[in-house]
Amino acid sequence: MLRTIAARILDAIPTLFLVLTLVFVTMRLLPGDPAIAVLGENATFQELQLFRHKVGLDLPIWLQYLDFLRDSLTFSFGNSFTSNFPVSQLIALNLPYTIELTVAATIIGTALAIPVGVLAAVRHGEAPDVISRIFSLLGYAVPDFFLAAIMLIVFALTLKWFPITGGGSGLIDVLWHLVLPATALGLIKAAFMSRLTRSSVLEVMGKDYVRTARAKGARERRVIYRHALRNALLPVVTGLSLSILSTLSGSVAIELIFNRPGVGAMLINAIETRDYPTIQAGIVVFALFVVVVNLLMDIAYTVVDPRIGAGS
Amino acid sequence: MAFNRRQFIAGSSALAGASAAASMLPQPAFAQSEDMLKIAFAARGNRTLDPAKSIQGADNWAIVHIHDTLVNSPNGRFATKPSEFVPQLAESWTMSPDAKTWKFKLRQGVQFHKGYGEVTADDVVFTIDRLRDPKQAGSSKVLYQNVAGVTADDKYTATITLKQPDPLLLSGVIQDYSCVILSKKAVTEKGANYQRDPVGTGAYQFVSLDPDPSKGIMMTANPNYFGGAPNIKNLNVQYILDTTARTLALLNGDVHMIEGVRAPGWVPSMQKKSPNLKFDVAAPGSLFTLTFNLKRKPLDDLRVRQAFAYAIDRDVIAKAMAPISRRTYGLNPPGFPGGYTADQVPADLRYPFDPDKAKKLLADAGFANGLTIDCFTSQREDYSSVMLIVQELMRNVGVNLNMQVIDHTTFHANDAKDMNALPQNSSAYPPVPTLPLSDNLSKFAEVKSDGTGGANYSHYGVVMPGIDDLIAKAYAEPDFDKRIAIVQQAEQQVMRDLPTIPISTNGYLIVRDPKVDLGYQVQSGYAYWRLDKAKFVA
Repeated sequence: MLRTIAARILDAIPTLFLVLTLVFVTMRLLPGDPAIAVLGENATFQELQLFRHKVGLDLPIWLQYLDFLRDSLTFSFGNSFTSNFPVSQLIALNLPYTIELTVAATIIGTALAIPVGVLAAVRHGEAPDVISRIFSLLGYAVPDFFLAAIMLIVFALTLKWFPITGGGSGLIDVLWHLVLPATALGLIKAAFMSRLTRSSVLEVMGKDYVRTARAKGARERRVIYRHALRNALLPVVTGLSLSILSTLSGSVAIELIFNRPGVGAMLINAIETRDYPTIQAGIVVFALFVVVVNLLMDIAYTVVDPRIGAGS
Repeated sequence: MAFNRRQFIAGSSALAGASAAASMLPQPAFAQSEDMLKIAFAARGNRTLDPAKSIQGADNWAIVHIHDTLVNSPNGRFATKPSEFVPQLAESWTMSPDAKTWKFKLRQGVQFHKGYGEVTADDVVFTIDRLRDPKQAGSSKVLYQNVAGVTADDKYTATITLKQPDPLLLSGVIQDYSCVILSKKAVTEKGANYQRDPVGTGAYQFVSLDPDPSKGIMMTANPNYFGGAPNIKNLNVQYILDTTARTLALLNGDVHMIEGVRAPGWVPSMQKKSPNLKFDVAAPGSLFTLTFNLKRKPLDDLRVRQAFAYAIDRDVIAKAMAPISRRTYGLNPPGFPGGYTADQVPADLRYPFDPDKAKKLLADAGFANGLTIDCFTSQREDYSSVMLIVQELMRNVGVNLNMQVIDHTTFHANDAKDMNALPQNSSAYPPVPTLPLSDNLSKFAEVKSDGTGGANYSHYGVVMPGIDDLIAKAYAEPDFDKRIAIVQQAEQQVMRDLPTIPISTNGYLIVRDPKVDLGYQVQSGYAYWRLDKAKFVA
């Protein structure tokens, strides 16, 4: 297992390097001037030059690139161009909100997807299967921001069950603020995951060991959950990792609509204002997140199927 | 090393729980009762509370409540005459006959918040010198270019000397949010951290700045405020970028005031949804102009420019954006010193809406079969809303504006590099009539393709004779009325030459819960106004 983890980390290094280079090039190619974005369109040319000098934008491009790599690898991203706030503190302030939203949405999505997927598989061709298919189609078709806006209007504005904006403070308040955004994201994820679960379980239900379990007189519930689902989880785990990563990137729209702090919204704002240090830091965080999630999923594979760990 | 299933589940749960719990640390709770006035703006979050660096309107609302200027316009409107200004930190002031020396006598005994001492002339000198410091990149430095020096004559008297006469110094500089007086001691002590922990003399003092934009900036009343303690004990500035979320927050009662949306139809739809809401519009707001790049054919042909002027129905545009938008005739809007009203414009320069005349002019210029012009505009609502209407109006006369809508940052960066055939500008100006002329039409402000130029996107004064002589004459004139007369001459020349067409003004809109009484009516002014006289009513 340790060898697997080490191998995964080593594999990630060239990927990270490529991502960082791509981010650097893309930011420099993106039209727009960070100096004008920070100082406003009324700033004189001299002021703009002063700003560019202060933040190193007047250095040769290769030197800027080396500085950027060094900063990224040492996690010292400097200060935000727009707020002059240390970027590491910006990340530290925003990341927990994104993580809690991602975790909550994943829990809701998975908690809904697996039972729905199993039911659809066990009762395939019948009404539960049809309903789950409609649910999935709606989940694919409806954008998360649209669903979020509808939920805001119904549950927050009309019924006044939940707040409209913010991240909350204190455990109960945070959970209360999390319900609507996490549910909006989670429902979309459940649509995808339930189809995956259904297909996986259906495939496994036809296997010999499932027939054997039934023949031995095991209760149907035990057959489904202990024998079938357990062996159907591998593709579901793969889907789960993809779902977590897409939830992370999809959190941007949710963070904007619910006015929550978060890395996604921070990144969008940084791109709009050409805040290079914040963009860099945000991309590095997302890239690391991808590496960590993939690593956790690899570990999860070995738990779900011990044969995978033994084989490595 | 092998994990078993139980270890994995336990570990994952602990990790997830720890991550979630880390963000749930208790934070100071703030009163949710009616002792707090909450106002939400269209921004993602705070950028800075340093007046020298702020360019975000939302932040300026907090800045002007935490700090004070030397003098100010009366609540709810611009002072358009020198006699209309209201004392703030300065209890009196004098201007020399040549309008180059201004002396301000400070109120005595005014204290900075949090024990930072009394306001003295040294703080005035420090504030203005800091704004002029060539080593500091600031957002408002251009306003202080005419300041030759500032001195403290004694503890309570500060003198500002100018390079050129300026009888409108109070309008254009002193009352600007950037010129709020800072505590030299606080700024020196806090350094870069000042922008997140400001200290002023204002009606409200800074309490906290939360990274959660829905919490934003918290301020509490200054009980010793020289203008009288505010009626409402606490003030909260929130940032809600998304229009839907901001609107719902107001309708749900989460906030009392919100920044409105400057797009056609928004105000009528809000009025329909909630007829009791109050709509405060500070006119004129931004002055929207459509400029012709005189270095691009066929825009160098006066007939083509006149065709635009006849084809664009400016009354329709103002009506579409009502009630925030009003038609404007010159660069200075009606209501500003030197601004033209409809009946004051000479008959031959009125350019009434006349598509047939526009087509004839285009035919005379050789474009009887139409014309295509590539251009771009900003996705920001006050730009794109107007330009999409202009595009449609021009299509009616055979001019196809092949228009790209791009993000605002790129728009300004590209305009600054002379990349647009039809640049537009939507900027707010104080009632200083020379400013829009010198900023946008002086040859010294000509845009350059390497980005080193200014905001004269038309190249007026370079490609063709401009109004630089008149601008220089206006700036050299110390008498207010004579200065206005020169400005009006310049405006008429601009109407004749048409390097730019003033389209409309877009007022700054705040939508207010009817239970908030501001204590005055908003008619004109900057894109912020004071709330220290506001109170909750039944």
